[in-house]
Amino acid sequence: MRMPPFQLHTPKSLEEALSIAGELTSGGLEFDWIAGGTDLLPNYKWHLNVKPNVISLAKVSELTELNSTHIGAMVRLHDLANSSTIHPVLAKAADSIASVMIRRSGTVGGNICLDTRCYWFNQTEQWRESIDWCYKCDCGTGADCRVIPNQNTLCVATYQADLAPVLMCLEATIHLAGPNGTRSMALSDFFQLDGITRNVLESGELVTHLTLPDDVSEWQGDYQKLRQRESWDFPEAGVAALWKKNGTSKPEQLRVATTGLESIPMLHSEEVQNALEDWSGADSINKLAESIRKAVKPVQNTWYAPSYRRKMVKVLTRRACAGLLEGDN
Amino acid sequence: MAKEGNEDEMVGYRQQPGKLPFAKPGSGGKERFSRPTDEGLIPESQGGELAQPWGSHRHDNLVSGQVIGKPTALVDGRWKVTGQAQYGDDIRLPGELIARIIRSPHHYARVLSIDCSKAFELPGVVAIATGADAANKFGVLPVTKDEHAMAVDKVRHVGDLVACVAAEDEATAREAERLIEVEYEILDSIHDMRDGLKNNEYPIHDRGKYHIGNTNVQKRVFQEFGDVDGIKTNAIASHKENWLFAGVNHAATEPHAVVAHWDPSGRLTLYTPQQVPHYVHRALADVLEIPMHQINVHRTFVGGGFGGKSDPFPHEMCSAILARKSGRPVRITFDREEVYWINRGRHPSRIEMNLHADDKGRICGIETDALIDGGGFASFGHVTTYYNGVLHTAPYEIEAFHYTGARVWTNKPASGAMRGHGAVNSRCAVETGLDDLAEQLSVDPIDLRLANLLPPHSATITGFRVTSIGMRECLERVKEESCWDEKFRKMPLGKGIGIGCGFFISGSGLPIHWDPNKFPHATVHLKIDMDGGVTVHTGAAEIGQGSDTVVAQSVAEVLGLPLDMIRIRSRESDTAPVDLGSYSSRVTFMNANAAISAAMQIRDELLDATVEITGADREKLVIGDRRIFAKNDPAVGVSYLEALHKAQEDRGALVASGAYRTPPMGRVHKGAAAGLAPAYSFSAYVAEVSVDVETGQTKVDKVWAAHDCGKALNPLAVKGQIIGSCHMGMGQVLSEEMRYGRNGHLMNPDLLDYKIPSVHEMPEIIPIIVESNDPEGPFGAKEAGEGPLLPILPAVCNAVYDAVGVRTAELPITPDRLLRLIERKCKTEGIDDQLDLQSPRLAHSELQAVLAARAEEHSKRDLERRMNDDREPYHNGALFGLDPTTPPDEVDERWAVNVIPSDDYLAEPRLAGNAWKHTERRHRGDS
Repeated sequence: MRMPPFQLHTPKSLEEALSIAGELTSGGLEFDWIAGGTDLLPNYKWHLNVKPNVISLAKVSELTELNSTHIGAMVRLHDLANSSTIHPVLAKAADSIASVMIRRSGTVGGNICLDTRCYWFNQTEQWRESIDWCYKCDCGTGADCRVIPNQNTLCVATYQADLAPVLMCLEATIHLAGPNGTRSMALSDFFQLDGITRNVLESGELVTHLTLPDDVSEWQGDYQKLRQRESWDFPEAGVAALWKKNGTSKPEQLRVATTGLESIPMLHSEEVQNALEDWSGADSINKLAESIRKAVKPVQNTWYAPSYRRKMVKVLTRRACAGLLEGDN
Repeated sequence: MAKEGNEDEMVGYRQQPGKLPFAKPGSGGKERFSRPTDEGLIPESQGGELAQPWGSHRHDNLVSGQVIGKPTALVDGRWKVTGQAQYGDDIRLPGELIARIIRSPHHYARVLSIDCSKAFELPGVVAIATGADAANKFGVLPVTKDEHAMAVDKVRHVGDLVACVAAEDEATAREAERLIEVEYEILDSIHDMRDGLKNNEYPIHDRGKYHIGNTNVQKRVFQEFGDVDGIKTNAIASHKENWLFAGVNHAATEPHAVVAHWDPSGRLTLYTPQQVPHYVHRALADVLEIPMHQINVHRTFVGGGFGGKSDPFPHEMCSAILARKSGRPVRITFDREEVYWINRGRHPSRIEMNLHADDKGRICGIETDALIDGGGFASFGHVTTYYNGVLHTAPYEIEAFHYTGARVWTNKPASGAMRGHGAVNSRCAVETGLDDLAEQLSVDPIDLRLANLLPPHSATITGFRVTSIGMRECLERVKEESCWDEKFRKMPLGKGIGIGCGFFISGSGLPIHWDPNKFPHATVHLKIDMDGGVTVHTGAAEIGQGSDTVVAQSVAEVLGLPLDMIRIRSRESDTAPVDLGSYSSRVTFMNANAAISAAMQIRDELLDATVEITGADREKLVIGDRRIFAKNDPAVGVSYLEALHKAQEDRGALVASGAYRTPPMGRVHKGAAAGLAPAYSFSAYVAEVSVDVETGQTKVDKVWAAHDCGKALNPLAVKGQIIGSCHMGMGQVLSEEMRYGRNGHLMNPDLLDYKIPSVHEMPEIIPIIVESNDPEGPFGAKEAGEGPLLPILPAVCNAVYDAVGVRTAELPITPDRLLRLIERKCKTEGIDDQLDLQSPRLAHSELQAVLAARAEEHSKRDLERRMNDDREPYHNGALFGLDPTTPPDEVDERWAVNVIPSDDYLAEPRLAGNAWKHTERRHRGDS
């Protein structure tokens, strides 16, 4: 395994980073951002969509701020997991990512922007050559998708990052900066259903930070994750459930989001709305879990079979919502 | 200046006129004074205080109380932890070239042409080789040499070698890799091992007149022992299961790497992390067509082998060929993916296991049918095919054994030998089957086992000579320490406990390269000069298992030296005597025996010298820490160095050569040699698990692991082997598999998707060492490297059954597979919520008391047999009323050995049995 050659740029400030990005873009040169590198570099070693230029954000200090409502893109996952000010469910999700060594390097921004993964894609060049490449990295061949053949329009690689569902439930706002200025949006609007583009980031644009609403501390909840091993493995399914209670057994507000099942994480507002309309505790949670199971459409491209992952979404949803029933009796 | 009467000056060390006096040599070691002998380490038989409940041993008089039996850090450990150990890829020679291998992108294809012209034009490319450069075949077993350095005519799996290129640096080599154009004609590939049994237009290999029909059957075995026809009438309970075992890879930390150097004197040195340097040595000579003496195989530090580095490999040939072409050293290091392509992991297997019990709770029949998927090459497969059968004919006494086995070629990376070679899968099937039989008979599964064990010093149904057996003690210890009786079938849903046993060879009786000249299996040379340090030359491959340490310990013990006075030279075939390699758990048993025999010669010379100096009675002399003295009068004696210097007079350094060869054993039927060993190890594990019934996830909470290793020469290493085996076995039973996609591609050739258990998955493991004192083992020792892996798989499977009441017949038990079984059970029982499942319970039948009484009686029988040297022979079959002193097949015609299937059998064969429907070409007259 050998890293392909690329030109590394190490700007010291956000402004400099954006200007390098602008120059490269206007020169027609492709590039990738690199934060912790735990996602990008293994993919580069596999020669997956390698770019000739890489802009490192390691020295951009303004992206590392962390407090209860502000999370810089360059905050390390390890620091998020061990932060005393951050929402506990977010810290729990961060703590479940990969292994401690990867968390020490990996960042929040990198986790949000994690490349989608697929058995037919995350392989060496020799391996991919032996299957005649695939749609996500076709190497100029116009290759078909290997997961769902004969559809050459959408990559179905899976988004397997843990932070997004929790942040979506907490109604996080994501802030971007690019050559044309800054913009912000709800995190749920950031993702776009396509395994290749994944999100709305335009060329030269990057994630600067996330903000959480002021009432974030009033939300309770849980994050549940499915994987073969309790370390290293990407989530085969992940369910975040967060709610706000007002003393009655029915939550005042409830949000549920899932990850690891499709090309983007999903906020299940409609299913939750239906469940809240006619709330009856455990039964409602069961119904909600079942409706979310039906709503997700995983494909055969990760360790577990799609049928199992769907079944587990139901179990994970129930478990993530278990706290709702506490003190109910 | 030395003064008159200096106490440091002594007789025999007089100074010459005008010269400085020699200092008194002292004791020789780092410590100035000898330590007093620790009587707690000296066996009772020698008047010491070390209890010997299993009797005395022929090596008792060699025990000096130095290191044997003490937890000892491995002698090469510091090299590793300080980063100074040189593994395969750490070898850097001046002017080295880096080579890359061009591999097949097709499962099965004919190579029509290879065009290297563009690659040659690339600046920095120095040499390119293809199959045309090495026509000779090789393979680890002489009977099945079917590999080439690179494809000659055909490629047989994705990743098979086609060509190789050496360049000034890796980047250039990788660039050149893309420029080599290969034209293929794609052939229809086969991926399902069942298809290997059928006739095929283009079998993956052609064995000429020995080819079996037009199939891809590489090896087939048929064996019947005992009263097979009687099974139907004798059995009151029968178990039948069809197993599917996924293939697993060794996944050693270090990927394969090799450096070849053709030096100016025309000799080849090959630096390689190898388990079997000697077989590589032979294969190199064959492939390169040069005599063996022109080759020096240099074994580097090995970053884990587990069987994955125990074949001569094509990339080793490639580096040597490129080095010869270029005249420069050539290094090849694998990517992890390439490790999966060379594979040699455990065979994917389909095993049908039938077990039968009679009304007395005896095992009246085992019928096994194993179809194993060999992938593209033979490797060790010939042996694996036998081992899947014969290695489960013990530790139980059985009335009948029927085995059909077949190994087929498919277009996958080759399977081969892996820790627990050939025994692991079928053992798992046997032990879970016994659990089921116990369930059917309503008896405790541990008691069922205890009442059916072969006694020490007996012969199995296949005629294996078994000497020491610690099986009963292993079972009793784990039963007691795990509080089995309070837990088994008594824990709530989702909590379970299970038992599994193991039986494994301690060294294979026949060497791979059969020895018409009666070559020994292991030879050790010792050299001691005046400094007192002992140089041990051995070819035994230290692969992390601690073989250097064990041989050092053996020599140190016999000579009464501290470990730091022993230096091991085990790397180079130029200096090391031939050792067959680190496989089949043979090294401690054979190499330590060879070392002891060499050390005994030195010991004799030291004792002679002591007699000469002191005039003491030779019979009364004993060896302590760096001192030889009269046992009855310790003041009479000399230091080790004094004796040594005396012995060196007029001849210089002392040298000795010791060797080990197995005694003649076994019977004469076809295949009788497979599974023969000078000793066998035994083990019993109890595993406690938690199963999440909603997700199917299994977590192993605790394992009590008892292993009979004869004598723990180094208890630290034995415990390490037990714990490491648990980890490896847990991987196979719960998460590891080489997973092939719908078009035959290996989907997970990397360590993220090949799921080796992490530290979070590891349970608490209680290693329990049982020491059965093997009469032929060095100081009583047997193997501890492979056998301890076997029981963990069935123990976990049985614990899962205890927890949720479902039996799995497919490994690994990934959560999705287990959940499917739980759901099926719920459906059959009409249960809506999995949490309402009932876990199994046990009410003992009348048979329980019968078994307990028999176990007790056998316990006495065993004790008597192990302590009494005048014991009568005991042949498997005595439990069923036959005369124990003669092999039953010689006196009872129902017990006749049969290795050819009958027409009746062939009318309705089991799966692998179908291999016998085809005729070898030489017998059908169309060779």
